[in-house]
Amino acid sequence: MASEPLTARRRGGSEIVAQALERWNALSGSARFFILLAAAATVPLLISNDYVIRIAGNVCLFATLAVALNVVVGYAGLLDLGFIAFYGIGAYTYAILSSDQFGIHWPSWASLIFIGLIGLVFGLLLGSPSLRLLGDYLAIVTLGFGLVFAQLALTLDRVELPWREGTVNITGGTNGIVKLDPLNFFGFQLSNVTHYFYALLIWLAIVLIIVHRLNQSRIGRAWRSMGEDALAAESMGMPTRRLKLLAFSCGSAIAGITGGIFAAWQQSVFPQNFSTDVLITLYAMMVLGGISNLGGAVLGACVLAIAPELLRSPELSRLIFYSALGLGLLLLMKPRRNGLIVLVSVIGLGVLLRLIVQAAAPDLLSPPTIRVAAASVSTALDRFSQQFGIYVQSWILVLKEPLLPGNIAFVVMIPALLALSRMKPGRLKFGLTIPAIYLLIFVWETRLAAEPAVTRLLLIGGLLVILMIFRPNGLLGRRKVEIV
Amino acid sequence: MEDFLAQLPQQLVNGLTLGSVYALIALGYSMVYGILQLLNFAHGDVYMVGAFIGFGVLTALLPDSSPLLPSAVIVVLMLLAAMLGCGLLGVGIEWFAYRPLRNAPRIAPLISALGTSILIQNAVQLTLTANYRVYRTEQVIPAAAGIGLGDLRISATRALVIISAVVLMIALTYLVQRTKLGRAMRAVAIDREAAATMGVNVDQIIVLTFFIGSALAGAAGVLTGLVFTRVWHTMGFNAGLKGFTAAVVGGIGNLPGAMLGGMLLGLVEAFAVGFIAPAFKEVITFIVLIIILLIRPRGLLGASVIQKV
Repeated sequence: MASEPLTARRRGGSEIVAQALERWNALSGSARFFILLAAAATVPLLISNDYVIRIAGNVCLFATLAVALNVVVGYAGLLDLGFIAFYGIGAYTYAILSSDQFGIHWPSWASLIFIGLIGLVFGLLLGSPSLRLLGDYLAIVTLGFGLVFAQLALTLDRVELPWREGTVNITGGTNGIVKLDPLNFFGFQLSNVTHYFYALLIWLAIVLIIVHRLNQSRIGRAWRSMGEDALAAESMGMPTRRLKLLAFSCGSAIAGITGGIFAAWQQSVFPQNFSTDVLITLYAMMVLGGISNLGGAVLGACVLAIAPELLRSPELSRLIFYSALGLGLLLLMKPRRNGLIVLVSVIGLGVLLRLIVQAAAPDLLSPPTIRVAAASVSTALDRFSQQFGIYVQSWILVLKEPLLPGNIAFVVMIPALLALSRMKPGRLKFGLTIPAIYLLIFVWETRLAAEPAVTRLLLIGGLLVILMIFRPNGLLGRRKVEIV
Repeated sequence: MEDFLAQLPQQLVNGLTLGSVYALIALGYSMVYGILQLLNFAHGDVYMVGAFIGFGVLTALLPDSSPLLPSAVIVVLMLLAAMLGCGLLGVGIEWFAYRPLRNAPRIAPLISALGTSILIQNAVQLTLTANYRVYRTEQVIPAAAGIGLGDLRISATRALVIISAVVLMIALTYLVQRTKLGRAMRAVAIDREAAATMGVNVDQIIVLTFFIGSALAGAAGVLTGLVFTRVWHTMGFNAGLKGFTAAVVGGIGNLPGAMLGGMLLGLVEAFAVGFIAPAFKEVITFIVLIIILLIRPRGLLGASVIQKV
């Protein structure tokens, strides 16, 4: 009897959620879009931390790029690996038109429109010869184009012109172009992070609306049918060449303008802003959400732009790692109590190993390396995380010279985890999970936590492979009908 | 003009050396593409791992005091270790990242390949740091050794690279054209399902293809290390791209094409560096690629296959 009110309350809670979800689903697409937009617009009002707003701006920037990439790759089915070059061309064009590099200072609206046109023209220039090529050939030509852009950005700092004395510095080489004018629209100058966040958000909204409308139109239908089966579309009388070119240059123009806004925001451009890493991140964002799904692209951008920032602080990344591990154990092990058994056994194994090492070679061990910071300089969450780290270090091996054992454990761990993931469920797999998880925690503590930049990329790489294996169409993607 | 003629033979040798490496990488791309229609983006990283395996063997067998084994044996051991290690790595990649995606939409294995490439690069960076490693080639092959033909001098290292590449390519051609396994590989490349119906073990052939292709990349890694001495964790990206370009230039899926494309690309690059400007070698290579693809959209030796629907 005593539990009756509790269950009632619980049911009430989930009913509220269910009702809210139902109402949400009942809303029209555009209403949902504007509610989310309004919610995003309140971010700077709720949080006054410039760092957080900068991340939010980054999310908008990457979401816009992912949406543009989606037009090219998702809708038109063109594997464009030179996409980042268009973004870079936009940024460099803005830099040249609004800095002391050549003493040109165009008004922002004029340079942004010009950049859009440049994007279109370059899209057409690269597109018209290479769209004759089939899928994978297109990929290599565009990838080469991206590389050429990167190399030109690096080497065009000493160009010799036949009709002039000396050399001309166009791109600034590794030093880039700095001290760009901020965006300035008819007297209103964008001067801080919040302004740029709003500019990027508005630009994202505009791009989303344009792309969505395009996708609903005749052209969008043609694109989708072409992406589904180019040959069939062509035989239905669709001008596939023109449609492809349109998609290609549309994506390039959007990427270019986004690059211009990025350059203005950063007030400088450097070649490494447009490296292949950025391209890979963009592809990861688009694929994570599901190809040819606009909401998915935005979601993917949110996840992959925010996650690295969370992993930047060692305290937060420790909490995230261990909660992910715990959740994974609880959800993946069936029956549930097996997860608990594994957890206890891992700790038991750790204590055992520690005792053995302590007895055999006590010199190798070091005391816990984590300290709890004073309450005055850190938040409660950080202190909790540090305390948690000390608990972990009280049973896992903490070595004085962790580099070599950590590396060996890492090299052993990867094939072990891979092999484990493919084993059939059974006693053996269950038994082997325990040392594998111990190894994982050991590697995390000794190597991964110390190198967040590498760990982040390892996670992205692993995530991409695993995601493709379990959901080849992305998180929100729908299964495509395969024609045999 | 005289300057040009004087330099020509030396640039030819440089180009052939570079081209041998590209051709070996291109073969792996082409073989995998021929069978699975898959761009194996991780192939360049396999090559990088091969270079590091060679470095490990060289360092282990060449203590500061004196070499443990005769130089020739060391070089052969480096090549064998790298080929075996990379072959196994390639098989592992196929099993982990590509096999589950055999029937997925076309972009899925591509993304998975990108992910694998990031994984390998960062795993190497984590364990071996991002520093350059330097092959101590001159302690195995003296820099002065070489063949002189008039004005032209081919250093022993470069000769070794070209000869090993040619030997490996001949062996591969023999395997593919003259043996039962090679016939099975060609059959799978032409039509996987038909080959399966005829009793070819398709999975086994795919694994074998990955093994051979990756082993060739591993050999290319060691040869690069011997000639250019520096190896680092992202060296695979550019080399993989060049290898892929070579495969495309020659007609992807076509093995003699890959060899021809690799040599051609190496020569173009060497000439661009030697006669035009080192800074623009990528630009020139890329322009040549576009021109070739515009004239022959399926590559130099690619057959104009009619696409079946």
